[in-house]
Order: sequence, then structure tokens, then C-alpha cells
Amino acid sequence: MNRGVHRFALLVAGATFFLIIAGALVTSHDAGLATSDWPLTEGRFLPKVESLGIRTGVNMVGNLFWEHGHRMVATAVGLLTIGLVVFLFVKEPRQWVRRLGVVALVGVVAQGLLGGLTVKLNLPLVVSAAHATLAQLFFCTTVSLAVFTSPSWIKERPVIEEQRSLPLRYLCVAAATAIFLQLIIGATLRHSATWDQPLPTDLLLTHLGGAIAVTLLLGSVALVILRRHPGDSFLTRPAKVALSLLLLQLFLGIAAYITRVASPNDPQPLNPMVGITVAHVACGALVFATTIVLTLRAFKVLRSSASSFEFATAER
Amino acid sequence: MFIKQTKVWLILTIALSLLALASACSKPEGGKGEPTPTTGGTAYTPTGKEGSVTGAIAYTGTPPAPKKIDTSADPACGSKNPNLSTEDNVVTNGKLANVFVYIKDGSTADGKKIAEFTFATPSTPVILDQNGCHYRPHVLGAMVNQDIQITNSDPTTHNIHFTPKNNPDWNQSQPNGAPPLMHKLTRSEVLVPVKCNQHPWMKAYVGVLKHPFFAVSAEDGSYTIKGVPPGTYTVIAWHEGGATGAEKPMTVTVPANGTAKADFSFGEAAAAAGRPSLEMMPALEFPMLGRH
Repeated sequence: MNRGVHRFALLVAGATFFLIIAGALVTSHDAGLATSDWPLTEGRFLPKVESLGIRTGVNMVGNLFWEHGHRMVATAVGLLTIGLVVFLFVKEPRQWVRRLGVVALVGVVAQGLLGGLTVKLNLPLVVSAAHATLAQLFFCTTVSLAVFTSPSWIKERPVIEEQRSLPLRYLCVAAATAIFLQLIIGATLRHSATWDQPLPTDLLLTHLGGAIAVTLLLGSVALVILRRHPGDSFLTRPAKVALSLLLLQLFLGIAAYITRVASPNDPQPLNPMVGITVAHVACGALVFATTIVLTLRAFKVLRSSASSFEFATAER
Repeated sequence: MFIKQTKVWLILTIALSLLALASACSKPEGGKGEPTPTTGGTAYTPTGKEGSVTGAIAYTGTPPAPKKIDTSADPACGSKNPNLSTEDNVVTNGKLANVFVYIKDGSTADGKKIAEFTFATPSTPVILDQNGCHYRPHVLGAMVNQDIQITNSDPTTHNIHFTPKNNPDWNQSQPNGAPPLMHKLTRSEVLVPVKCNQHPWMKAYVGVLKHPFFAVSAEDGSYTIKGVPPGTYTVIAWHEGGATGAEKPMTVTVPANGTAKADFSFGEAAAAAGRPSLEMMPALEFPMLGRH
């Protein structure tokens, strides 16, 4: 185990989370087409910072601040991901972890290309929604890398036998799948109408239905874990975090709806709508990531009765 | 297990990317509108008996106060136009500006449908200027395939973004000092929204028609559509608001060498139409927090 790799993976995951926030800010400000250029803005990459002597860079005013800022953060995340992959190939002995690093690299490249594609095609709904969905997948890949390289994952843990008819592991997978589908619906909903247009009712109701499904599934997972394994912080900690984030997410969803319904009458995207909607997106990413962590941990320590004598080791 | 998971994620990523690419590549060039025939139909020849449609647009009730625009994100806008505010209801002495009035359909006095004629596209472009971080004019008309010349008179970068339903989407950056951009719309559409993603309060509307029988109400609410062949027509007055704007129809008969009067009125009813309709509104409502 190399703590440096784990810390670097945490850094990449944190930067990716920041990138998701930056991307959500672009959508909420309707800034995605603030420039028709890609990948550069008006042929430039560096921002204009006269105090630093950069006078010919991008003038980061208006919505260019959000769009070009998003591109700069994305570039940084891309470079960090390359660094992480190099780090993994140098320090990480487990081949499957190295391969997951390569998956992350492929993901961030694909994500950059999707971002460019959606700008060049003037934000078609499917491409923009795919861009937002892949962002969540990439984030979960980086979070998974941080999990797999963490001391708590590598430490040997006794396997817990599951004797129930409904294995917790599969409940976790069901919850994670429901959240992922909900994220796709949410991304489609967000990109189907700009701030000055009413949200499509069918998508909104689908998103509402998804929220109920996620609440039931994730709530069940968390409560079952807290009841069956109250003393095992390896499982209860992510379960508690997921449950707390879920409650916060429901609150943010209602608040985002209220502010978003009013926004078509506003002269421009206003900070309450932007802030709450972006928080809803960010919290959704955290709910998904926490559920992925919980699912991975459940698969590490929970087994059906046939394999109860095994030990969960770092090699799995 | 994890190798398997890795493969699943990889396949998901690739599948999503391919799906997006396929969707993007299969995007139709235009929308659902019919292509505008550049040929076909009978070319209209003026007879010398053309008349006009004229009138005034009134605003009944108290118009909503313009909303102040926060330009702090781009100081160039605030310094050039410190009193920037919304332009969806420009009312002076009870008269409404920026209403697009046009002949939708009808027949000439000799029984021919106006849609059966073709009209020459003007060779001079219509001008859409970005000045003081708003569009001048706010509403304009153009004929199908007529050049729209876009200029930037501001000391900042704009992007001009046409978001039509029946024409291809078009977006182009225009830095300060850049030469004018030219654009044309190849299908009729009333009205094409234009916006600036750099400054999201900036909005304009372009009415695109196959014939030249349209006008935009001036600050005193008046308008005149000239050169109309004698006949009976449906005239539409369109005013922005809500998802698609509000329309008022009226049937008029234009006499030979005469003038048909068509006055319209917007206001309380238009404001009601300006709010999202029940069909467009989500099912949930929070009336105590809504804006009225």
C-alpha cells in the first residue's frame, strides 16, 4: 500500500467534485455557448490577468467566466488523472487497480470530447445529458480509486455471513443503479430547458418518481445496515453519510424546484436559483459516490453463508 | 469481481460516448418546418393598386415595471448602459412597442391565396446591433433568405445565438471590434428567439416570412404594413411573453389603393398568457412562493 497514491487519488476525486460544481454552474447560467470556440476561447486558453502581465488572455467577464473557468478546471482534472495513472503504474501492485486508473483516463478524455462536441453542435440534449452523466460516472471512478487505495480497504477484515433471504449487497446495487438512473433523468431534465423556459412536466414527474424510488431503496439499505451491523463502522459510516446526504438532497430538490419554477420570469439567472440548483447537482453526485463506497464495502465484507469462512483481503 | 466491474464501467463509458456521437451525427439540419421554396409559385407583380394595413397597439392596464439588469458580471455593460432593464413591455402613454404584426394568410381580391405568390428577397440586409448590452432593435422582421447583418457596438465580446425551431440553430462569437456577421434564415418562422449566452438577459426576436407584409410597432404603438395587394387577410399581432409569446388575430380587408385599420390591444390578458400555461407548468405548485 502506498499512502501517496491514496492521497493523490483523493485529490483527483476532490478536483472532480469541484469540476462537477463548475459544470453545473455553466448549465445554470446558460453559459455553455458563451463562446462558439472549442477547445480554446477566442484562440486563447490563459485568462487575462493584467496584474500578472497576461494582457492578451481570455477576458473572464460575463458568462465566459463560467464556461472558460469550467474548461480550465477540466484541463486541470485531466492532467491530474494522467498523473494518477502514472502514479498507479509506478506504485500500485494490483493490476486491476491500475486498469481502473486507465478506465478513469479513458473516461476523462471521453468527457472532454463530449464537452467539445456539445459546444460545437450547440448543446443537443442527448450530448449534453451524456456529458453530465459521464461526469458522474467519472467522479465515481475516481472515488472508487480512492477507496481501493485506502488503508481501510486494504486492511484485512473478517467476512460477515449474510443469512437473510435478501442479501444486502444486492440491495446496495439496486440503490446505486436507481441513483444512477435518477442522475440520468436529472441531467436530461436540466438540459431540456434553459433557466428562462419552463421545465418539461413529464421529465419533472419522472424525476420526482425517481426520487421516491431512490429514497425507498437507499433509505432501506441504510436502515438495514444500521440494524444488522450497528457496530461495524466500515459499513455504518457510509450508510449514515448516505442517509444524511439523501435527506439534504430531498430538501435541495424541493428548493431547486421552487426557485426554478420562478426563474423564467427573472431577467437573468439569479443567485438563489443558481446556488440551490448547483447544490442539488453536487449533492446528487455525493449521494451517488457515497452509495458506491457503501456498495463496494458491502461486497468486501459481506458474503453468503457458503463462503463465510473466507477473509476479505487486499487481493480481492 | 473488480476486473469484471472495470470492464462494465469501460463498456458503459464507450456506449454512452457512441450514443452521444450517433445522436449528434444524426441531428437533422433543420427542424420540422417545410423548406422554403426559392422557386415555384407565381412571382407577384405589383399592380399599382396596393394598399396598406395600419393601426396602433394599445396596452390596457398597468404594465409591469421593467426589471433592472444586474450587469456586474461584465463591467463594460454597466459602464455603457447603466440603466439597463428588461424590454418585454415597452409601454409609452398606453401604447405598446415591439409588437410584430404580419399577414398570416388570406386571399387577394381576385381570389388567389397570398401563399401562392413568391416575393423577391430584398438585397439589403436587416441590421441587428448589440449596443449597450442589449439588442437594437429588440424585435425585427426579415424575409426568408434575407441577410441579417449583426454588428457589435460594445466594448465587450458577445455571442449571437439564434434558437429557432424550424431553422438550424446558429451560434457565433463576436468580439468587440470584429467585423459584422451575416446570417440568413431559410425557413419562415414567427418568431425566432435570439440570445447572448455571454449576457443572458440579452434577447431579441426575428420574424421570418416568405412575404414582405410585416411591421414592428414603434414606441407610440403605431405600425404600417405597406404594399399589400387588395384582398382579405388574417393579420396577427405577436407580443413576447411566456414560452411562446401571445398572439392576437384579426381579419381585415384591404381596399385597392386604400388602408385597412387593425388596432390591437394587449395587457392584462397578455400578461396572463405570459405566465407559463397549465400545460407547461409542472403539476406541483407552491402558490405562497409563486410570483404574481
